[in-house]
Amino acid sequence: MWKFTLRRIVTMIPQVLLLSIIVFVLAKMMPGDALTGMVDPNVDPNTIAEKREALGLNDPWYEQYTRWLGGVFQGDLGQSIHFKMPVSELVWQRIVNSFWLSAFTLVLTYLIAIPLGITSGRYNDSWADRLITGYTYVGFAMPIFIFALVMLWVFGFYLDLFPTGGSIQPGIEPGTFEYIMSKIYHMLLPALSMALITTVSTVQYLRSEIVDTKQKDFILTARAKGASETRVYNRHILRNSLLPIAAFLGYEITGLIGGSIFIENIFSYPGMGQLFLSSISLRDYSVVTSLVLLFGMLTIIGGLLSDIILSLVDPRIRIK
Amino acid sequence: MKKAKFSKLLLAVMLVFLLVLTACTGGDKETSKESDGADKKTEEKEDGLFSVDDFKQVKTNEGEAIEGGNLNFGLVSDTAFEGTLNWNFYSGDPDAQILTWFDEGLLTWDENYVYTNDGAATYEPQEAVSEAVLATLPADQATEVAENGVTIKFQIKDNVNWHDGEPVTAEDWAFAHEVIANKDYDGPRYGSDFTNIVGAEAYHNGEADKISGIEVLDDKTLQITYIQSTPSLVTGSIWSYPLAKHIFGDMAVADISSSPEVREKPIGFGPFIVDSITPGEAVVLKKNPDYWRGEPKLDSVTIKVINPNVVVQSLEKGEVDLISSFNVDQYPDNADMANVEYLGKVDRAYTYIGFKLGTWDKEAGVVKPNPDAKMADVNLRKAMWHAVDNDAVGNEFYHGLRWNATTLVPPSHPEFHDDTNPGLTYDPEKAKQLLDEAGYKDVDGDGVREDKNGEPLVINFASMSGGDTAEPLAQYYIQSWAAVGLKVELLDGRLQEFNSFYERVGQNGDDDPAIDIYQGAWGVGIDVDPRGLYGRDAIYNFSRYASDKNDELMAKGVSKEAFDVEYRKEVYKEWQQFMVDEVPVFPTLYRSIIVPVNNRVLNYSIEEGWANLHELALTQEEALKAE
Repeated sequence: MWKFTLRRIVTMIPQVLLLSIIVFVLAKMMPGDALTGMVDPNVDPNTIAEKREALGLNDPWYEQYTRWLGGVFQGDLGQSIHFKMPVSELVWQRIVNSFWLSAFTLVLTYLIAIPLGITSGRYNDSWADRLITGYTYVGFAMPIFIFALVMLWVFGFYLDLFPTGGSIQPGIEPGTFEYIMSKIYHMLLPALSMALITTVSTVQYLRSEIVDTKQKDFILTARAKGASETRVYNRHILRNSLLPIAAFLGYEITGLIGGSIFIENIFSYPGMGQLFLSSISLRDYSVVTSLVLLFGMLTIIGGLLSDIILSLVDPRIRIK
Repeated sequence: MKKAKFSKLLLAVMLVFLLVLTACTGGDKETSKESDGADKKTEEKEDGLFSVDDFKQVKTNEGEAIEGGNLNFGLVSDTAFEGTLNWNFYSGDPDAQILTWFDEGLLTWDENYVYTNDGAATYEPQEAVSEAVLATLPADQATEVAENGVTIKFQIKDNVNWHDGEPVTAEDWAFAHEVIANKDYDGPRYGSDFTNIVGAEAYHNGEADKISGIEVLDDKTLQITYIQSTPSLVTGSIWSYPLAKHIFGDMAVADISSSPEVREKPIGFGPFIVDSITPGEAVVLKKNPDYWRGEPKLDSVTIKVINPNVVVQSLEKGEVDLISSFNVDQYPDNADMANVEYLGKVDRAYTYIGFKLGTWDKEAGVVKPNPDAKMADVNLRKAMWHAVDNDAVGNEFYHGLRWNATTLVPPSHPEFHDDTNPGLTYDPEKAKQLLDEAGYKDVDGDGVREDKNGEPLVINFASMSGGDTAEPLAQYYIQSWAAVGLKVELLDGRLQEFNSFYERVGQNGDDDPAIDIYQGAWGVGIDVDPRGLYGRDAIYNFSRYASDKNDELMAKGVSKEAFDVEYRKEVYKEWQQFMVDEVPVFPTLYRSIIVPVNNRVLNYSIEEGWANLHELALTQEEALKAE
C-alpha cells in the first residue's frame, strides 16, 4: 500500500502543475487586471501604470508564472495585490472559518443522513420511505443557492432566529466560551442550509445499499441462526452498507477546507469560497492560482484518502 | 404492479410538496401586497416621482440623547474589506469608510470644497516663496518657482494627539510625504499632487535624501513649497494625512502597509479608537476621550460588513443604524420604512455618453484625435444628444432620483455648475434636421440613414453590465436613436462586463477600434478642474477629443488669475458651453445619494465637509425596528 500511495503522490505532481498552468493562463486571459478597479479621476493614471510595471503585470504570462512558481517552491505563495498581505496569511485566516463551517456541516449531514437512510432502507416501500425518498428528490432538484436564500430570509430575517451574516459577533474576546458559542450560533444556519441539501445523496446511497444488502445470502444465514432483527440490521446490514459512505469520506474531508462558494457568499461568511470568488472578480491572480493549486491538491489527496479508507474498512478490496 | 403503485404514491407526495410550495408563494404575495399598500402612504408625489430637493442633509433630532451607547455602522460590500487601515496606504472605499471613524485629515473643507481653518490644522499661504527652499534650487528653476509657486504654512493645533497620547507633529506630516514619495511606497497616492512639491521628484528618484520643499519649522509648524500655485491646490491637492513617525519611522517603507500597526492595531487621531478587528468582517471602536474636538458622546461604534443583498432587511431589523452606501434603486420600494429617516444630496457624479474621436498615443502619452473617425461630425453627435429624452429616463428608470444632466460640471459643485445652460434638449425633429443637413440621409429607403457617402452606417455602442436597469436603459437609447433613423448596435450584441468595458474603452490606452460610442460614468473630484478627464494628456479622456480651445480654457481655469472665483466661474461657464458646442461626450444623468439613518441617531449630517462624528448620539439603547 505504501508503494501505491507513493505512486499516487508522484503522479499528482504533473497533474497539479498542469492545472496551475491552465488556471494561470485562463486568469490572465480575463479582461482587466487587479488595478482596473482603480480607474478614478482622483488617482493619477501614471501611478497606476507605474504600479502595474512594478507588480510585473506587463510581463508575458510565462515569466509571471515562473516567478510565481519559483516562490511556491520556496513556500511563498506570493502577495495578494488587493489585500496587500501574503497569500498564505490570507488563506490561513479564511481556512479556519471554512474548516469549522464545513466540519459542522459534515456532522449535520451524517446526523441527518444515517437515521433517514436506515429508516428508508429498512422499511422500504413504506410511507416513511416514500416521504424520505420524496425529500431526497426535492433536495436533488433544489439548487442550493435558492434554498440557502430562502433559509436566510425565513430564519434570519422573517423569524429573526439567527444572525444573517459574518462568522462572529464583533468585539467578543477570542478564546472565551462566549466566543465559541457565538461562532457556533453564526455557523448554524449556513451549515444547516447546506447539510439539508447535500445530505440527500448520502441518504440515497445508504438506502439503496441497505435494500441491496438485505437480500444477500449472509443476511438469510444470520436470520436463520436466530439473530434478532435489530442485531441483523445494526451489525450485519449497516456495516456492509456504510461502504459507499466511507468511499466518499476522503473527498468530504478535503472539502472541509475548500468551503462553499454559494453558502459563504449568501451568508457573508468569510471563508475560502468567498475569497475565491472575490479574488476572481478583483483579478487578484496570486490568490486565485494559489487557491486553485490548493483545491486541486486537496481533490487529489481526497481521492487517495478515499481509496485508503476503503481498503481499510473493506478487506475484500486490496490496493496493489 | 408494485412499481406502478409506488410511482402513484410518489406523485401524491410530489403534489403535497407542490401545495406546500404554492402556499409559501401565496404568503409571499400577501406580504408584498401589504407593503404596496403602505407605499402609498408616503409623501410621494402624485406621479410616483421623487426629487432630491425634498431630502434634507441633516438628520432631524427627535428625542433626548442617552449617555453613551453603541452605534452600528453597516459597511455595504460584497467583498471583505482589505484592512489597509491607514490613510496613506488604503486603496479601496471600504477601508476609507472604516478610517473615517478613527482617523482624519488635518484640514477640513467647506461646501465649495475649499480648505477651511476649522480642522486640526490651519493653513496660510505665504506672501512670498520660502527663501530657504529657493536656495536649494538651480537659478533658472528658482526664478520659475518664485514666480509661479507658493509656500503654505501649516499650524497643527496643540491638543491634537495620536491615540497613544503622543502629539501629532509637523514631523509626522512631513514623514507622510516622504513615505508616499519613496520609491518603495506601494500605495496609490504618489501622483501630480506630490510632484508639484519642490524636490519631491528628486526624492522619489533617489537623488535627494529629503524633500527640499518641505520645512519643519517647529514641533507643530510645517511649511511646504509648491511649484505651481493654482486654485486647485486648496481644493483637495494638499496631502493632509500625517503618518505617526514614532511608530512607523523605523520600518522599511515597503513593509509598512502589511505591518500589524496598519492592519491589526491601526492608529489615528480621530474620535474613536480601534478596539478589535475581525479581518474582513468587522471592526469595533471605542471612544477617544482625548479627541481634540471634544470627548465623543457615543461609547463605541461597531462596523460590520453587510452584503448589498440584505441591506434593506438589516435596516428594517435595526441591525445597522447607518450604512456606507444605499442603492437608490431600492428607495422607491422602501420609502416608507418607519424606523429610518432618509437624507439625500446631489452626488458628485454624472453618467454620460462618449463618442470615440481618436486614439491614445502611448509613446507621447497624449490623445491622438482622428478627423476621419466615424463620429467626427459634430452635427451627428449633436443629433444623437437631441434624440434622447433623459428626463424620461430619469423618471422611468430611477423615479426621479436621477435626472437630466445638462453640462459636464455637476450641480454638486454649486459654485461652478452653470444652471442657466440647458445643454441640448430632447428634440427629435431638430435631430432629424441636423442629420439631414449634415448629409446623413436615408438613401435606399429602408428607414435607416446611411453615411455621407451613402454607405451603411452602423454605430457600435459599448455599455456596461450591472444592475437591473443596464439592459433596458441601453435598449432605450438604441430605440431613441433608431427613431431618428440611426442604426446603433450593442458592441458584440451584449453588455460588457466591468473589466472588459474599461479595457476596451481604453484605460490602458489600447482603445478598441470597434467602439464608436460608449456609456460611462464619472465620480468627479472635489476640485472642479476637468483636466484629468478631458485634458489632452489624460488617459481617462476616453473620447480622445482634444482641441486648442479646450486646452486653453482648461488652463485658464487653473491659472493664477483663477484665484479670483468670479473669473474662474466665467472660465468654467465658457468651458461648459464649449463642451455643449463640441459634444465630445454628452452628460445624460445627474445622480443623487440617499442615506437612510435609524431614527435613534442624533446629530448626523451628510453635508459636505461635515466632520463632527464625536457629536453623534443615540436616543435609546436598542435600535428601532420597522413594524
